[in-house]
Amino acid sequence: MSKRTITRRELLAGGMTLGAASLLAACVGTTPGGGGGGGASTGAITLQNSIQDADPKAALEALVKAFPDGEVTLNSVATEQFRAQLTNYLRSGDSPEVLSWYAGSVARSYAEEGLLLDVSSLWQGDGPCAGYSDALRALSSDASGKQIFVPTSYYWWGVFYKKSAFEKWGVEAPTSWDEFHALCENLSGQGIVPLTNGLSSTPWMASGWFDYLNLRVNGAQYHRELLAGEHAFNDPEVVAVMEEYKRLIPYFDKNAASYTAQDAATPVAQDKSAMYLSGTFVTTYFPEDQRDDIDFFSVPVINDSVPTAEEAPTDGFFASANSDNHEGALDLLAYLASTTSQQQFIEQSKSANLPTSPDVDTSSFSPLVQKGIELLNTTEEITQFFNRDSSDALQATADTALTKFLADPGSMKKTLDEWQKAAEGVFAS
Amino acid sequence: MSAQPSTTPTRRRNRFARVPLLVWVFLLVPFVVELFWVFWPAANSFSLALTRWDGIGLAEPVGLQNFRDLAADPIFLTALRNNVIWVLGFGGLSVVGGLVLAVTLNKPGPLVGLYRSAIYLPMVVSLAVSGLFWRVMYAPEGPINGTLGLLGLESLERQWLADPAVALWAVLIAAVWRQVGYIMVLYLAGLKGTDGTLEEAAAVDGANAWQRFWRIVMPQLRGVNTVVFAVTVIDSLRTFDIVWAMTRGGPYNETQLLSTYMFQQAFTTGNLGYASAIAVVIFALAIGFIITYLARQARTED
Repeated sequence: MSKRTITRRELLAGGMTLGAASLLAACVGTTPGGGGGGGASTGAITLQNSIQDADPKAALEALVKAFPDGEVTLNSVATEQFRAQLTNYLRSGDSPEVLSWYAGSVARSYAEEGLLLDVSSLWQGDGPCAGYSDALRALSSDASGKQIFVPTSYYWWGVFYKKSAFEKWGVEAPTSWDEFHALCENLSGQGIVPLTNGLSSTPWMASGWFDYLNLRVNGAQYHRELLAGEHAFNDPEVVAVMEEYKRLIPYFDKNAASYTAQDAATPVAQDKSAMYLSGTFVTTYFPEDQRDDIDFFSVPVINDSVPTAEEAPTDGFFASANSDNHEGALDLLAYLASTTSQQQFIEQSKSANLPTSPDVDTSSFSPLVQKGIELLNTTEEITQFFNRDSSDALQATADTALTKFLADPGSMKKTLDEWQKAAEGVFAS
Repeated sequence: MSAQPSTTPTRRRNRFARVPLLVWVFLLVPFVVELFWVFWPAANSFSLALTRWDGIGLAEPVGLQNFRDLAADPIFLTALRNNVIWVLGFGGLSVVGGLVLAVTLNKPGPLVGLYRSAIYLPMVVSLAVSGLFWRVMYAPEGPINGTLGLLGLESLERQWLADPAVALWAVLIAAVWRQVGYIMVLYLAGLKGTDGTLEEAAAVDGANAWQRFWRIVMPQLRGVNTVVFAVTVIDSLRTFDIVWAMTRGGPYNETQLLSTYMFQQAFTTGNLGYASAIAVVIFALAIGFIITYLARQARTED
C-alpha cells in the first residue's frame, strides 16, 4: 500500500513538472538565436534574416556570398519566429551584427531602447544611402533625427488581376469608385467572384481594404492619427469607412475566411475570381507562366478632397548595438545598400520589389514594376501598412475587429466599440 | 506501476543506506539541471506575472493588476471557456474512444495488429503536421465538404475552421483523432494485466458482458485510469500546436485556448507580464485538477 502512495506522489511531482514546463513555453528563447557564435575572429559577421520565400532567399544568399570584406554567416529564420525572437537577438551579449526588419515605428521602438547602432554615417557625404529620398530618410530616423535603419527595397499595394481574364470577360480596369462597383456587379452577373482575400491564418489581410478605404475616405493624415491613437475606432469617420467596406462584402469570395493569403490567389489563377487587393508579394503566388499576365490598378478615388495615397511597406536592415563587430556591420550594410547589390537582389529574387536607391537602373525591370514605380512617384502620400504604421499589438485588435465585422456586418457598431476598447488597452500599456 | 510486495520501514531505510554514493550523484545532477532550467524559470514567470513588461525595457511592478485585467478581458474569458470545453471534450472523447477501441481490439481476431497500428499511427506524426493535414481535410473544397456534397448533404457543408459555431469542435476532433490511439495503447496494456480467470468465474456465475466489464475489469484498471487521467488533463491544458497550426485562435479569437492566447500576448503583442499571468492561471488549473483528483482517489482507497 505504502508503495502505491509514493507512486502517486511521484505522479504529482511529475504533474507539477509538466505544468511548469508549460509555463516554460513562455520563457523559451532565452537562448541567443545567433548561430555562428564564432566570436573569436574579429572579422565574423552574422546576418540574421527573416526571408522565407525561395527566390528572394537564394538571391540574398548569392549576394552575401559575394561580400568582399569577410565571411558572413547567414541565418534565415521563419518570420513568426523571427518576430518573437527579435528582442532576444538584440539584447543578447553576442548579438548578430546585422538583422533584417521593417522601417518606421517598429525600428524606432527598438532604437528608443538603445538597441540599434547609429548608421548615420551611411546617410552622409558619399555614403550609399545619401541619395535616398527624404521620405525614406524620415522613415529610417529615430526620434532624435539620427538614422538607425537601412532600407533596401520596398513594394506597393494594389488591386491585382489577370489581363487575359479581364479580356475574356470583356471588362476593363476601373478609373472611378462607381466604375469599380459597376465592374463588381458585372462580374457577379457573369458568375465570377469579383474579389478574393485570405483571412484564415493571415487575418491581417483584412486590414488592406481597411487601410485603403480609410486613405480614400478620410485621407492619409487622418489614417496616421487614427493608428497613433488620436482618434477613436468608433468615430463617425471610421463608421463611414466601414459602411464602404460593407458595400464590398457581397463581392468577396465566400471562402475568404478559410483561405490563407496564398490560397486566395488560386481562384484568381484559375479565372474563378477576378481581383485581389494585395502587396506585390502576391505575384509570387501565381504559377510562373502567368506572372507576365498580371496587372494592377490603384484603388479608385472615393473622396476627391483628400490627397492621393498608396501603401508602400519598406524592408531593409538594421545593426545591433550589442554586437562585437560594429565596423563589419556598417561594411555589410553599405554593401547591401549599394546600387549594384539592390539591382542584383531585385533581379534574382523575381519578386516585384522596388529599389530604394535612385541610381538603380530600372529600365530592365518588368512593365509591372515600372508601373509600380510610376504609381509611387505620382502619389501625394505614402503609408506603409497597418502594423508598420502602428504596432503588432494594435494589428491584433484590427484582425479581431475586421474579421468579426466581415463575418457579421450587422453588428458593426458593437464591433467598433469593442475595437476601440481593445485599442485603448494597447495604447495604455 | 507494477505493485511490489510492501516492505517494512526498517528494511526500506536499510535499502536507502545501501544505495551507492555514485547513484546519488547521478540523481543529483539531473535534479540540479532541472532546478536551473525548469523550476527557476517557472518561478520567474510567477514574479513576471506581477509586472508589466514588453520584453525590451525594465519590468514595471504592477501588483495584481494583470489578474484584474484578465478578469475583465473578453478574449481571456473566451479562452477559459474554450479550455473547459477542451478539457471535457478532448478528455472525454479520447478516453471513451480509447477505452472502447482497446476493449474491442483486445480480443484475438484477423488483422487486429494492423488495426491497432493504424489507430496508433497518427500519434507518431507531430501535432503540427496533423494540424496541416486536417486543414486540408476541412478546406472549403476539401474532402469533407466534397464527401458531404456527394452524399447530397450540401446543407451540412461548412467553412469548418472559419465558422465560429463549429471551428473549436473541428479542431477538437482532429486532436482526439490523434490522442485516441495513445489512450488505446495505455488501456490495452492495462487490459493485458487483468486476470482473465476472474472474468470467466463471473461469467460462470451468470454475469452478463456489461456487468463483467464494469464490475470485474474496470476495478482492475484503476492504476491505468490514474495515468490516463493525469495524461489527459495535462495534455488538454497544454494543447497549443494543433490549434496554432489549424486556426491560430481565429476566427476572431473564437478558438483561442489559454495557451494560444498566452503565446499571442507574449510573442505577437509583446506583453510578457500579462502572458505570464495567463501562464500562472494555466498552472493553477493543472495543479488544481490533479490535486483534487488525487485527493479523491486517495480517499476512496482508504
